[in-house]
Amino acid sequence: MGLIKKLPVYLEKFPGGGLVTTSLNYVFSQSQASSLWYLLFGTACCAIELMATGASRYDFDRLGMIFRASPRQSDLIIAAGTITKKMTPRLRLLYDQMAEPRYVIAMGGCTVGGGPFYYDSYAVEKGIDHIVPVDVYIPGCPPRPESLLEGCLTLQKKVKKLKMEDWS
Amino acid sequence: MNRDELIKYLQDKFQDKLQLLDTGRAEPFFLIKPEFLVEFCRQIRDDVTLAIDYLCNIGAVDTGERFEVVYNVASVAKRLRFDFKFILDYENPKIDSVQEIWPGANWHEREIWELFGINIRNHNNLKRFLLPDDWDQGNPMRKNWDAPDFKRMPEVK
Repeated sequence: MGLIKKLPVYLEKFPGGGLVTTSLNYVFSQSQASSLWYLLFGTACCAIELMATGASRYDFDRLGMIFRASPRQSDLIIAAGTITKKMTPRLRLLYDQMAEPRYVIAMGGCTVGGGPFYYDSYAVEKGIDHIVPVDVYIPGCPPRPESLLEGCLTLQKKVKKLKMEDWS
Repeated sequence: MNRDELIKYLQDKFQDKLQLLDTGRAEPFFLIKPEFLVEFCRQIRDDVTLAIDYLCNIGAVDTGERFEVVYNVASVAKRLRFDFKFILDYENPKIDSVQEIWPGANWHEREIWELFGINIRNHNNLKRFLLPDDWDQGNPMRKNWDAPDFKRMPEVK
Protein backbone atom coordinates (compact mmCIF):
# COMPACT_ATOMS: atom_id res chain seq x y z
CA MET A 1 0.00 0.00 0.00
CA GLY A 2 2.90 2.31 0.64
CA LEU A 3 3.88 2.44 -3.02
CA ILE A 4 0.29 2.82 -4.25
CA LYS A 5 -0.17 5.77 -1.93
CA LYS A 6 2.87 7.53 -3.28
CA LEU A 7 2.39 6.51 -6.90
CA PRO A 8 -0.05 9.24 -7.99
CA VAL A 9 2.29 11.89 -6.71
CA TYR A 10 5.12 10.50 -8.84
CA LEU A 11 2.96 10.18 -11.90
CA GLU A 12 1.59 13.71 -11.62
CA LYS A 13 5.14 14.99 -11.84
CA PHE A 14 5.92 12.76 -14.83
CA PRO A 15 6.31 14.99 -17.89
CA GLY A 16 3.48 14.61 -20.36
CA GLY A 17 1.82 12.00 -18.18
CA GLY A 18 -1.91 11.88 -18.79
CA LEU A 19 -2.56 8.54 -17.20
CA VAL A 20 -2.63 7.87 -13.50
CA THR A 21 -2.82 4.54 -11.82
CA THR A 22 -4.11 4.85 -8.28
CA SER A 23 -6.48 3.37 -5.78
CA LEU A 24 -10.07 4.44 -5.32
CA ASN A 25 -9.39 4.87 -1.62
CA TYR A 26 -6.71 7.40 -2.37
CA VAL A 27 -8.84 9.46 -4.73
CA PHE A 28 -11.88 9.45 -2.48
CA SER A 29 -10.15 10.21 0.78
CA GLN A 30 -7.93 12.84 -0.83
CA SER A 31 -10.84 14.64 -2.43
CA GLN A 32 -12.95 14.32 0.68
CA ALA A 33 -10.24 15.77 2.88
CA SER A 34 -9.71 18.64 0.48
CA SER A 35 -13.32 19.74 0.42
CA LEU A 36 -14.67 19.57 3.96
CA TRP A 37 -17.63 21.88 3.69
CA TYR A 38 -18.78 22.92 7.09
CA LEU A 39 -22.17 23.78 8.45
CA LEU A 40 -22.81 27.31 9.65
CA PHE A 41 -23.28 26.55 13.31
CA GLY A 42 -22.00 29.42 15.44
CA THR A 43 -23.85 29.58 18.73
CA ALA A 44 -21.66 31.96 20.75
CA CYS A 45 -18.43 33.94 20.79
CA CYS A 46 -16.34 31.15 19.19
CA ALA A 47 -18.29 31.93 16.03
CA ILE A 48 -16.46 35.26 15.86
CA GLU A 49 -13.14 33.40 15.65
CA LEU A 50 -14.71 31.04 13.12
CA MET A 51 -15.71 34.05 11.01
CA ALA A 52 -12.21 35.49 11.35
CA THR A 53 -10.79 32.16 10.19
CA GLY A 54 -13.15 32.14 7.25
CA ALA A 55 -12.28 35.70 6.28
CA SER A 56 -9.38 36.74 4.09
CA ARG A 57 -6.63 37.02 6.70
CA TYR A 58 -6.62 33.31 7.61
CA ASP A 59 -8.59 32.15 4.59
CA PHE A 60 -10.30 28.85 5.26
CA ASP A 61 -11.08 28.47 1.57
CA ARG A 62 -7.52 27.43 0.76
CA LEU A 63 -8.17 24.20 2.68
CA GLY A 64 -11.26 23.70 0.56
CA MET A 65 -13.45 24.54 3.53
CA ILE A 66 -16.48 26.53 2.48
CA PHE A 67 -19.44 27.20 4.72
CA ARG A 68 -22.82 25.86 3.78
CA ALA A 69 -26.10 26.96 5.26
CA SER A 70 -27.68 23.53 4.91
CA PRO A 71 -26.75 20.29 6.70
CA ARG A 72 -27.58 18.36 3.53
CA GLN A 73 -24.64 19.95 1.72
CA SER A 74 -22.08 19.83 4.51
CA ASP A 75 -19.62 17.21 5.68
CA LEU A 76 -18.64 18.79 8.95
CA ILE A 77 -20.14 20.61 11.91
CA ILE A 78 -17.82 23.05 13.60
CA ALA A 79 -19.73 23.48 16.86
CA ALA A 80 -18.52 26.99 17.65
CA GLY A 81 -19.93 28.14 20.94
CA THR A 82 -21.88 27.17 24.03
CA ILE A 83 -24.49 24.48 23.47
CA THR A 84 -27.36 24.92 25.89
CA LYS A 85 -29.60 22.06 26.86
CA LYS A 86 -32.37 23.64 24.84
CA MET A 87 -30.08 23.58 21.79
CA THR A 88 -29.09 19.91 22.08
CA PRO A 89 -32.06 18.41 20.18
CA ARG A 90 -31.44 20.90 17.36
CA LEU A 91 -27.75 19.98 17.17
CA ARG A 92 -28.64 16.29 17.07
CA LEU A 93 -31.25 16.95 14.36
CA LEU A 94 -28.74 18.84 12.21
CA TYR A 95 -26.20 16.07 12.68
CA ASP A 96 -28.75 13.44 11.69
CA GLN A 97 -29.64 15.39 8.57
CA MET A 98 -26.09 15.36 7.26
CA ALA A 99 -25.02 12.76 4.72
CA GLU A 100 -22.32 10.34 5.77
CA PRO A 101 -19.37 10.43 6.11
CA ARG A 102 -19.80 13.29 8.54
CA TYR A 103 -17.49 14.85 11.07
CA VAL A 104 -17.76 17.05 14.14
CA ILE A 105 -15.24 19.52 15.52
CA ALA A 106 -15.86 20.71 19.08
CA MET A 107 -14.47 24.21 19.12
CA GLY A 108 -13.87 25.99 22.42
CA GLY A 109 -14.07 25.09 26.09
CA CYS A 110 -17.88 25.08 26.24
CA THR A 111 -18.31 22.37 23.63
CA VAL A 112 -15.36 20.35 24.92
CA GLY A 113 -16.63 20.09 28.49
CA GLY A 114 -18.82 22.97 29.60
CA GLY A 115 -15.98 25.47 29.93
CA PRO A 116 -16.80 28.42 32.20
CA PHE A 117 -20.33 27.04 32.59
CA TYR A 118 -19.22 23.78 34.16
CA TYR A 119 -20.16 24.96 37.66
CA ASP A 120 -23.36 26.70 38.73
CA SER A 121 -25.16 26.33 35.43
CA TYR A 122 -28.48 24.63 34.90
CA ALA A 123 -28.66 25.50 31.23
CA VAL A 124 -25.44 24.39 29.52
CA GLU A 125 -24.66 20.92 28.22
CA LYS A 126 -21.31 19.85 29.67
CA GLY A 127 -19.64 18.78 26.44
CA ILE A 128 -21.26 18.03 23.10
CA ASP A 129 -19.86 14.50 23.06
CA HIS A 130 -22.96 13.62 25.08
CA ILE A 131 -24.98 14.34 21.95
CA VAL A 132 -22.88 13.70 18.84
CA PRO A 133 -19.60 11.85 18.29
CA VAL A 134 -16.72 14.33 18.16
CA ASP A 135 -13.67 13.87 15.94
CA VAL A 136 -11.47 16.78 16.97
CA TYR A 137 -11.51 18.79 20.19
CA ILE A 138 -10.10 22.32 20.11
CA PRO A 139 -9.74 23.83 23.58
CA GLY A 140 -9.51 27.56 24.14
CA CYS A 141 -11.85 30.33 25.15
CA PRO A 142 -12.17 31.08 22.32
CA PRO A 143 -9.42 29.29 20.34
CA ARG A 144 -7.42 31.52 18.06
CA PRO A 145 -7.80 30.99 14.30
CA GLU A 146 -4.42 29.24 14.27
CA SER A 147 -5.80 26.63 16.68
CA LEU A 148 -8.87 26.14 14.53
CA LEU A 149 -6.74 25.73 11.41
CA GLU A 150 -4.58 23.20 13.26
CA GLY A 151 -7.72 21.34 14.29
CA CYS A 152 -8.96 21.26 10.71
CA LEU A 153 -5.60 19.99 9.46
CA THR A 154 -5.78 17.28 12.12
CA LEU A 155 -9.23 16.33 10.88
CA GLN A 156 -7.91 16.23 7.30
CA LYS A 157 -5.22 13.79 8.40
CA LYS A 158 -7.90 11.65 9.98
CA VAL A 159 -10.08 11.76 6.87
CA LYS A 160 -7.15 10.77 4.66
CA LYS A 161 -6.53 7.70 6.81
CA LEU A 162 -10.09 6.41 6.47
CA LYS A 163 -10.84 3.70 3.94
CA MET A 164 -13.97 3.43 1.88
CA GLU A 165 -15.10 0.29 3.63
CA ASP A 166 -14.98 2.18 6.95
CA TRP A 167 -17.76 4.47 5.82
CA SER A 168 -20.93 3.28 7.38
CA MET B 1 -37.60 66.67 38.05
CA ASN B 2 -34.43 65.58 39.77
CA ARG B 3 -33.90 62.75 42.21
CA ASP B 4 -34.90 64.60 45.39
CA GLU B 5 -37.97 66.14 43.79
CA LEU B 6 -39.03 62.72 42.54
CA ILE B 7 -38.65 61.16 45.99
CA LYS B 8 -40.59 64.00 47.59
CA TYR B 9 -43.33 63.83 44.96
CA LEU B 10 -43.77 60.08 45.39
CA GLN B 11 -43.72 60.26 49.18
CA ASP B 12 -46.30 63.06 49.20
CA LYS B 13 -48.51 61.14 46.80
CA PHE B 14 -48.36 57.72 48.46
CA GLN B 15 -47.56 58.65 52.06
CA ASP B 16 -46.80 55.58 54.21
CA LYS B 17 -47.53 53.04 51.49
CA LEU B 18 -44.04 53.68 50.22
CA GLN B 19 -40.76 53.28 52.02
CA LEU B 20 -37.52 54.70 50.64
CA LEU B 21 -34.58 52.33 50.82
CA ASP B 22 -31.04 53.56 51.27
CA THR B 23 -29.15 51.79 48.49
CA GLY B 24 -26.56 54.37 47.48
CA ARG B 25 -27.72 54.10 43.89
CA ALA B 26 -28.45 56.98 41.56
CA GLU B 27 -32.10 55.98 41.14
CA PRO B 28 -34.47 55.97 44.13
CA PHE B 29 -35.48 52.53 45.40
CA PHE B 30 -38.77 51.99 47.20
CA LEU B 31 -40.31 49.18 49.15
CA ILE B 32 -44.05 48.59 48.77
CA LYS B 33 -46.62 46.04 49.89
CA PRO B 34 -47.42 43.21 47.44
CA GLU B 35 -51.18 43.74 47.67
CA PHE B 36 -50.68 47.41 46.70
CA LEU B 37 -48.79 46.52 43.50
CA VAL B 38 -51.43 46.83 40.77
CA GLU B 39 -52.98 49.96 42.25
CA PHE B 40 -49.52 51.55 42.62
CA CYS B 41 -48.52 50.74 39.05
CA ARG B 42 -51.78 52.11 37.69
CA GLN B 43 -51.37 55.34 39.61
CA ILE B 44 -47.78 56.02 38.58
CA ARG B 45 -48.67 55.35 34.96
CA ASP B 46 -51.78 57.55 34.92
CA ASP B 47 -50.22 60.41 36.92
CA VAL B 48 -49.51 63.22 34.43
CA THR B 49 -46.45 64.46 36.35
CA LEU B 50 -44.83 61.04 36.52
CA ALA B 51 -46.19 59.36 33.37
CA ILE B 52 -44.28 56.13 33.96
CA ASP B 53 -44.83 54.68 30.49
CA TYR B 54 -42.07 52.11 30.35
CA LEU B 55 -41.46 49.00 32.41
CA CYS B 56 -37.75 48.25 31.91
CA ASN B 57 -37.57 44.98 33.77
CA ILE B 58 -39.10 42.73 36.38
CA GLY B 59 -36.62 40.67 38.32
CA ALA B 60 -36.91 38.28 41.21
CA VAL B 61 -34.32 37.63 43.89
CA ASP B 62 -34.10 34.56 46.07
CA THR B 63 -32.25 35.50 49.25
CA GLY B 64 -32.55 32.03 50.73
CA GLU B 65 -35.29 32.98 53.20
CA ARG B 66 -37.64 35.04 51.08
CA PHE B 67 -38.30 36.31 47.60
CA GLU B 68 -37.97 39.88 46.48
CA VAL B 69 -39.56 41.02 43.25
CA VAL B 70 -37.95 44.11 41.78
CA TYR B 71 -39.56 46.39 39.20
CA ASN B 72 -37.47 48.89 37.24
CA VAL B 73 -39.66 51.55 35.70
CA ALA B 74 -39.01 54.66 33.67
CA SER B 75 -40.77 57.50 31.98
CA VAL B 76 -39.55 58.20 28.48
CA ALA B 77 -41.69 61.34 28.23
CA LYS B 78 -40.61 62.87 31.57
CA ARG B 79 -37.13 61.31 31.66
CA LEU B 80 -37.60 59.72 35.06
CA ARG B 81 -36.35 56.47 36.42
CA PHE B 82 -36.87 54.62 39.67
CA ASP B 83 -37.17 51.13 41.08
CA PHE B 84 -39.44 49.49 43.60
CA LYS B 85 -39.66 46.06 45.13
CA PHE B 86 -41.68 44.04 47.58
CA ILE B 87 -41.04 41.03 49.73
CA LEU B 88 -42.76 37.67 49.32
CA ASP B 89 -42.93 34.67 51.61
CA TYR B 90 -41.05 31.57 50.58
CA GLU B 91 -44.13 29.39 50.98
CA ASN B 92 -46.59 29.59 48.11
CA PRO B 93 -45.42 32.89 46.56
CA LYS B 94 -48.03 34.72 44.48
CA ILE B 95 -48.08 38.12 42.80
CA ASP B 96 -50.55 40.00 40.65
CA SER B 97 -49.88 40.52 36.98
CA VAL B 98 -49.30 44.08 35.79
CA GLN B 99 -49.66 43.24 32.11
CA GLU B 100 -52.90 45.21 31.83
CA ILE B 101 -50.89 48.30 32.81
CA TRP B 102 -47.72 47.63 30.83
CA PRO B 103 -48.26 44.81 28.28
CA GLY B 104 -44.51 44.22 28.18
CA ALA B 105 -44.76 42.69 31.64
CA ASN B 106 -46.13 39.51 30.06
CA TRP B 107 -42.77 37.95 29.19
CA HIS B 108 -41.01 39.17 32.35
CA GLU B 109 -43.67 37.57 34.49
CA ARG B 110 -43.55 34.37 32.50
CA GLU B 111 -39.82 34.27 33.08
CA ILE B 112 -39.98 34.66 36.86
CA TRP B 113 -42.85 32.19 37.00
CA GLU B 114 -40.73 29.65 35.20
CA LEU B 115 -37.35 30.22 36.82
CA PHE B 116 -38.46 31.02 40.39
CA GLY B 117 -41.83 29.29 40.65
CA ILE B 118 -43.60 32.49 41.68
CA ASN B 119 -47.23 32.24 40.65
CA ILE B 120 -48.76 35.10 38.71
CA ARG B 121 -52.43 35.92 39.15
CA ASN B 122 -54.38 37.15 36.10
CA HIS B 123 -51.71 36.22 33.60
CA ASN B 124 -53.07 35.08 30.25
CA ASN B 125 -50.19 32.96 28.99
CA LEU B 126 -48.33 31.09 31.71
CA LYS B 127 -46.48 28.38 29.85
CA ARG B 128 -42.94 27.10 29.23
CA PHE B 129 -40.77 29.98 28.09
CA LEU B 130 -36.96 29.83 28.34
CA LEU B 131 -36.24 26.34 29.61
CA PRO B 132 -36.16 23.30 27.30
CA ASP B 133 -39.54 21.99 26.18
CA ASP B 134 -39.16 18.71 28.07
CA TRP B 135 -37.89 20.33 31.28
CA ASP B 136 -39.06 18.55 34.43
CA GLN B 137 -36.53 19.63 37.05
CA GLY B 138 -38.35 22.47 38.75
CA ASN B 139 -37.34 26.09 39.12
CA PRO B 140 -33.58 26.38 38.59
CA MET B 141 -33.03 29.91 39.90
CA ARG B 142 -34.13 29.00 43.42
CA LYS B 143 -31.29 28.86 45.91
CA ASN B 144 -32.14 25.34 47.09
CA TRP B 145 -32.51 23.95 43.57
CA ASP B 146 -30.51 20.88 42.67
CA ALA B 147 -30.27 18.39 39.82
CA PRO B 148 -28.21 15.24 39.18
CA ASP B 149 -25.78 16.92 36.76
CA PHE B 150 -25.69 20.26 38.56
CA LYS B 151 -22.39 21.13 40.21
CA ARG B 152 -21.86 24.00 42.62
CA MET B 153 -18.68 26.01 42.43
CA PRO B 154 -16.33 24.66 45.11
CA GLU B 155 -15.27 26.99 47.93
CA VAL B 156 -12.05 28.78 47.05
CA LYS B 157 -9.86 29.49 50.06
